[in-house]
Order: sequence, then structure tokens, then C-alpha cells
Amino acid sequence: MIEGMMMGINTAFSGYNILMVMMGCFAGTIIGMLPGLGPMSAIALMIPITYGFDPASAMILMAGVYYGAIFGGSTSSILINAPGVAGTVSSSFDGYPMSQQGHAGKALAIAAYASFSGGTIAALFLLVAAPQLAKVSLSFQSADYFALMCVGLLSIAAFASKGQFLKAMIMTALGLALSTVGQDSLSDITRFAFGNINLMDGISFVLLVMATFAMSEAFMIIFKKMDINFKSSDVSKASLGSIKLSKEEVKEMVPTIGRTSVLGFFVGVLPGAGATIASFLAWGFERSIASAKDKLKFGKGSVKGLAAPETANNAACTGSFVPLLTLGIPGSGTTAVMLGALLSFGVQPGPRLYVEQPELFWAVIISMYIGNVVLLVLNLPLIPYIARILAIPKNILVPLVLFFSVTGVYLISFNSFDIYFMAIVALISLVLRVLNYPMPPLILGFILGGMLEKNLRRAVLINDGSFSFIWERPISLSLFIIAILIVLLQVYQGFKKEKE
Amino acid sequence: MTINYTRISAFVFLLIFLIYSYLAGEIRVFAFDENADFNARTFPKLISYLGILVSLLTLVLSKNEKEDMGQYEWVSVIILFALVFSYGLLIKTIGFFVSTNLFLVISYLYLGVRSYKVIIFSSFPVVAGLQFMLHGLLDVYIRDPFLQFLGVIS
Repeated sequence: MIEGMMMGINTAFSGYNILMVMMGCFAGTIIGMLPGLGPMSAIALMIPITYGFDPASAMILMAGVYYGAIFGGSTSSILINAPGVAGTVSSSFDGYPMSQQGHAGKALAIAAYASFSGGTIAALFLLVAAPQLAKVSLSFQSADYFALMCVGLLSIAAFASKGQFLKAMIMTALGLALSTVGQDSLSDITRFAFGNINLMDGISFVLLVMATFAMSEAFMIIFKKMDINFKSSDVSKASLGSIKLSKEEVKEMVPTIGRTSVLGFFVGVLPGAGATIASFLAWGFERSIASAKDKLKFGKGSVKGLAAPETANNAACTGSFVPLLTLGIPGSGTTAVMLGALLSFGVQPGPRLYVEQPELFWAVIISMYIGNVVLLVLNLPLIPYIARILAIPKNILVPLVLFFSVTGVYLISFNSFDIYFMAIVALISLVLRVLNYPMPPLILGFILGGMLEKNLRRAVLINDGSFSFIWERPISLSLFIIAILIVLLQVYQGFKKEKE
Repeated sequence: MTINYTRISAFVFLLIFLIYSYLAGEIRVFAFDENADFNARTFPKLISYLGILVSLLTLVLSKNEKEDMGQYEWVSVIILFALVFSYGLLIKTIGFFVSTNLFLVISYLYLGVRSYKVIIFSSFPVVAGLQFMLHGLLDVYIRDPFLQFLGVIS
């Protein structure tokens, strides 16, 4: 482990990779700040840039983008009450009132310190938890992996559905169906290609992510006539005030950071949960344990009310890397995109990654510390200037996002068919999003489809065609019970809502 | 039963998964694999069952209330879609640099940008910068007859 860690430190601290972290954090902050473009779009837009990189550098860049996007989302939440990403909605509850009271600089500093602390504490947890979990997961067999993936798919559907579980399940099934287009991995038989040579290798993961997130998001901005640009004066330096915190404020923040980083990390580890749920939970939790006097401050510019979601969402981002790195199963939509990118580099995340490519495994974990430092040291002083990005008009932004999406896909195949296909998928995604069909379950279904089939096939063949592995193996059985509980919980919540 | 957008979409998905199920049954497998416990048809069949089940449940269990779609900019999106399509058509023939700049300039103009300074600064330097990064720094070759004609790239 020590040897692997040293290799990881060497990789992460190479000048090139430090530059990657800085670029990632910077680009992520800018993209995350723009309302509508979240971390998934940010990472999707970065994929084409990483083609020439080695997997470690690419992963480090994407992790930096992820952090940066969450941090950037907080900035727009605090300054203009327009969260760039769902994970920072709860930051606006206290951040925006603070900003209106003339303490925007202080609010941004609290957000930065809380994000840094949350990310760092969670990275320490990851350092301890990931190798242990990787060792345990080495004993997993195909049947267990199949069961685990089912839990992951159901959890994402349950959490991403915003009360519409069945719609999320339709998207999961659609994602799984799309993953079967192209050659079957075992028999090499072509399926669902309809004689079209462009579909024989299957649908490109980058194409699907770009179309369903970046491109459809750009269409959505025009479609909904979203007013995403703000006056430069709204975010001018003069209105930010001081970024210095008083001793009392620091004292108030510290216990909150300690509690909510633990909470955020464990919520992040759960498949499907992630930054949004962690931040809401943390805000609610801190409010519920606050004294009667402090409780009144929540929603009106409370230091604790801002520090809690900011800490938790960054800790959850780190936590979501645990299932990705140790089990090879993404815990959130964003890590699903990263998994797809890793697979396209020929890297299979999972317990073997820890054994076979320790430099990659550790470099990603260590770069998270570097990312947190970069966000604090580089981004905080630059926030007044970066925030001016919010003044980019949508009629400039939308064509640029479309251009980067098209270029990203074209660079993989140099095939015009992919551009047409992407535009059609983006249009269909737009319609589905208007009808409240969530996109993350589709992406996760698409990415896990191949692995799910491979593991199910192996489990069935080992069991002589029987599905008895579901109840014969204790790990599989436990995981299937969890899957059933997730479904039952959704059904119960549906009935409860109907009654209300 | 109220016919609303959710029900219509669920019905469309039901049709899609029924067709998918039929096509899954039509996948040609090797003769020795025909009666195997798991062949190239098995997984798609299972997915189709899941899809049919959840589409049916959505169709039956969704709320009996009318859904308002609101006012949306359909025309602008269709025009942008057509522009992306044309961009795909031109990128091979006239090359990356000219087609991308054309796409950006027409999109800006269509979306209401009237300042020529803004249009020029948000298109040519961006495209040139990206192309330099790809060609010069990342060694990613993009065929570009126009720049080849000008002698900018070999």
C-alpha cells in the first residue's frame, strides 16, 4: 500500500498533473457557475480534451472539473441566487441573504473554507476506506456484481426521479437497451444495428453524454427562454465586501464542518445519493440541532446554514469516488460519466485497479487534496473576476456549447453520422426532459449495461442456467433485499403522496 | 382515464419496448447457441420485459390530471437543430475551420447578436485556438482542405 501510495504521490505531484488539477478546477468553476450547466456537462465537455492524455492525468483533470463545478455552482447561488448545480441549491438559503446584507465576500469565503475542509476530511476517509473496501470486494463474484449493479441502477432511479420513480425506471431500461446496440461481447453477433455500419460498434458513450447533457442543455436554454445572463454590476468586486472571517464566525463553523463532512462522505458513498441529497440533509440536520436562537438565523444568512451544505456537498463528491474506484460501480451520474471515460481509456475501475494500477488509484485520491488547495488558493481570490462570466449572454453561450459538443464527438470518429445522430438524440432528450424523464438513469443504464450482461451471463452459466445464485449467495441475497427495499420504499412514498 | 403527456409518452415507450422485444427475438445466434442457457438474445429480452412492465405501470398508475406544457421556443430549437445538422454536413466537405466559423456566426446572428466585434471575437479566435491546441499541442489531426490550401497546415 505504501509503495502504491508513493507512486501515486509521484504521479499526482508531477508538474503536468498539478497543471491538470489547476486547469480542471478553473474550467469547472467557470462552467459550474453558469446556471444549467452542471458537473456532468462540464465533465462531458472536457472528455475530448483528454484524448491525448494518459488515464491518470485525464482522471485528475476530470476530478478537478467536478470539484470546480460544485464550487462554481455555490458562487452563483450566493451572488445571484441562481444555483449552477442542484447540489448547491441549499447554499443559496443562507448564502444569498448574506450576500444581500453586503457580506457576499464573507459568504464566498465561508463557502470556500467549508468546501476545502469538507473535501479534505472526506479525502482522508477515502484514503482509509477505499483500500479496505477494495480488499473486501476482491471476494465478490459475478453474481454479487450483478446484484450490486442492480442496486446501483435502482438507487439512481430512486434518487434522481424527483418522485417519478417509474419514469426513471423507463430511462434505465432505455439506457440498458441502448447499451445492447452493436456487437455482443461474447459471440460477436451484431445486434440492433439494422445493417448500418455506423452502429455496428455500438453507440459512443461520449456521443450519448454530450447529446443528453451538454447539447440538450444548450437547446433547453433557448427552448425555455431561460434568462441565464446577469448584469456585470451584480457581481462586481465592489459589492463583494471583505472576505475576512471573524474569530466568532470561525468558531461557529468548525463543529458544523466536522459533523457535516462525515455526513456528506457517507451519503456520497451510497449509490445514487450524492451532493444534492447530502447538502439538503446537512442543512436540515444543522438546523434541527441548533439552539432556538440560532435556528431563527437559518435562512437569513446563518454561518452554520451556509457552511453545512457547502461542506457536505464537497464531502459527498469525494465519497462518490469510493464505489467507483473500489467496485467499478458509479455512485452518481457524474461518476458514471467518469467511469465511461475511464473505460474508453481501457482502464477498468474496480478492486483490481487498486492492485494492478496503484499509481492511478492513488494519484486520483491524492489529487483531490491538491484540488481542494487549488480551489482555496487560486479560485477564492479570483472569484470576483471569474464571476463576471455570469454576464456572458445566452446567445453567445449556446452556440459555443453546441460547437464544443459537436467537436468533441467529431474528434472521436471523424464521422458526420455521429453529428446527425447526436443532434437527434439531443432533440429527443430535450422532449424527455420537458416531460420530466430524468437523464442520469439513462446514462448509468447505458454504461452498466455491458457489465451487467457480462456478469449475469457468467453467473447463469456457472449455475448451469439457474438463477438460484440470487438466494444462494449471502452477498447477492443481501444486495437483492436492498434492491427490493428500494422499490418498496418508492411504492410506499408514491401511495403516501397520493393520499396527501 | 385522462389522456395526458405522461400517458402518451408511456404509450410510446410501451410500443418501443414491444418492438425491441420482437427484434430481440429476431437476433440471429449461432446454431450451437440456439438452446444455450444464455445467448445474445437473453439480455435484450430481459431488458424488454423490464421496459414493458414499467411503461405499462406508468400508463396505468400515472395521475388523472391534465398537464400543461407551457410556452416553449420550438421554432428556435428546430432551427438550431437544423444548423447543427448542416454543420455536420459541411464539416467533411469544406473543412473544420470554415464550417465551424460559419456555424458560429450564423448561430450568433440568428440568436440576435448584432455587434460584429462580438461575433468576430467569439468565433474566429476560439476556433483557431482550439485547432491550434488540437494540431499543435495534442497532435490530433483534423482534415481541413481550406487551411491546407492556404498552407497553414500540411
